[in-house]
Amino acid sequence: MDKITPSTNTPVSFKCPSCGAVLDYPGSGDSMHCPFCNSNVIVPETLRHNDAGIQAAARDDCNTVVKFVNVNKYYGSLHVLQDINLQVCKNEVVVIIGPSGSGKSTLLRSINHLETINSGEIFVYGRMIGYREKNERLIEESENNIARQRAEIGMVFQRFNLFPHLTVLENIIEAPMQVRGIPRKLAVAEAESLLTRVGLLEKRNQYPRQLSGGQQQRVAIARALAMKPGLMLFDEPTSALDPEMIGEVLDVMKSLAKEMTMLVVSHEMGFARAAADRILFIDEGRIIEDTTPEELFDHPREERTKLFLSKILH
Amino acid sequence: MYHFDWVVFWKYLWPGTALANTMIRNGLIVTIVVSIVAQAIGVALGLLSALGKMSKIAPIRWLSDAYIWYFRGTPLLVQMALLFFGLGVTHIYDFPDIQLGFIVISGAIQAGTLALGVNEGAYMAEIVRAGIESIDPGQLEAAKSLGMTYSTAMRRIILPQALKVIIPPLGNEFNNMMKTTSLMEVISASELFFAYTQINAQLFKPFELFIAASLYYLALTTIWAFIQSRIEASLGERKSTIKTPNVLERIFAKGSH
Repeated sequence: MDKITPSTNTPVSFKCPSCGAVLDYPGSGDSMHCPFCNSNVIVPETLRHNDAGIQAAARDDCNTVVKFVNVNKYYGSLHVLQDINLQVCKNEVVVIIGPSGSGKSTLLRSINHLETINSGEIFVYGRMIGYREKNERLIEESENNIARQRAEIGMVFQRFNLFPHLTVLENIIEAPMQVRGIPRKLAVAEAESLLTRVGLLEKRNQYPRQLSGGQQQRVAIARALAMKPGLMLFDEPTSALDPEMIGEVLDVMKSLAKEMTMLVVSHEMGFARAAADRILFIDEGRIIEDTTPEELFDHPREERTKLFLSKILH
Repeated sequence: MYHFDWVVFWKYLWPGTALANTMIRNGLIVTIVVSIVAQAIGVALGLLSALGKMSKIAPIRWLSDAYIWYFRGTPLLVQMALLFFGLGVTHIYDFPDIQLGFIVISGAIQAGTLALGVNEGAYMAEIVRAGIESIDPGQLEAAKSLGMTYSTAMRRIILPQALKVIIPPLGNEFNNMMKTTSLMEVISASELFFAYTQINAQLFKPFELFIAASLYYLALTTIWAFIQSRIEASLGERKSTIKTPNVLERIFAKGSH
């Protein structure tokens, strides 16, 4: 696998002249689209540059969104990620399955640097995540830059992690206002349209504890979408839900799957069959199979895949 | 048999007559204002050193640890004397009187307030840290995953939630603070207890006068208990699971120990 080496890893940002949102310059071009007010924005001339590496990343055959290059991670002597190489294209939906402790959540969480890695490189949109090169060695990125990288990546957690001191609406507008500097009015309008989309507009002034688990998870999805990420990560989004609430969350995820790049750690086989382009089976920190859901379910190649499937499919 | 002097007792207990005495009136004001200012200094330093203790930068952690270690490990009275007499004699800072409009803040009050505040900060640090650590780590992860920096996440997500855990012990600290201001008597800061000791120097009625003084402190802490109940009840409305003690339970410390 060839190595992408962006000449600059630090994003350059400027304010959208029409809505005030802080935007990160993608690395090339004179103008860009502001996802917050849907206008075409002329990039200030002083910021324009051609970032060859990022352009190369964007030019490849599939518009790579996520790329793992020989990624390794250890917890002490436990080798949780072993030489992971992975490429996820734009608009692909990838479901990750595997036994408990196989490293699937660690892999997902390393994409937005909630987990550090010990060697290798992870790129999102051609930019290295969490680290930068200095004197030919990788050092951890500054906190501000990591925060800016994470702002482009949405994440949904198993236990929702909604902010309990804020209402549903406040949960959603918090990051756009604090991180992107979007005016309250615009943020509220966007939050309301997202709440309509997940079917919870009438809950806007309630607190998270007043909602069911399924409703909380739908709010959590809306909260992540409010940052207009191109990539969404779902870490066992339905595992903490009562069975009758799983469907409503999966329905929202299925509708998202049509329009964005998603990585989903989940054992919901129905979702995988209906929405996934690819399914990865991970065991002991390695990607054992990487194929289509039909292929994996109907003709698993590896013995341990069969064993695992027999356990979860009964 | 000791003859209890009811005339002196009532004169220095009944607010109508006691507060007519400028020393007592000013002493009461000084006690209240110093308590509030010292507690505010304590909260600020406590927050700083609690965050310092959790810092990634080792020297900041060491500094916070050393601060907490020293100020919790040595007597407040000694700290106060060291600050007032010690700094005075070295001329590092002489604690000159400060004139604020009509009010003169004596050096002793400045030193006393500072010592109380800095000492309190070391105790508040542990309270703030416990409050922050009581918040589910998933909250910080969620905030980070939305692109918030550590400081934004602290300010907007973690601390507002931790506050509910911090407020009840903070109220107890303030109760303590109002009583502890009486230590400033040894550096002759003109607070409430100092006023009574001055009157006692003239009348020599320590039994009657110090009972009266103690009842003023009791009044302050009792009024505070009511205010504290109100504050906690308003916090409790948003967090229904934890029962806040009512004011009688609070005053008689029922069920808390």
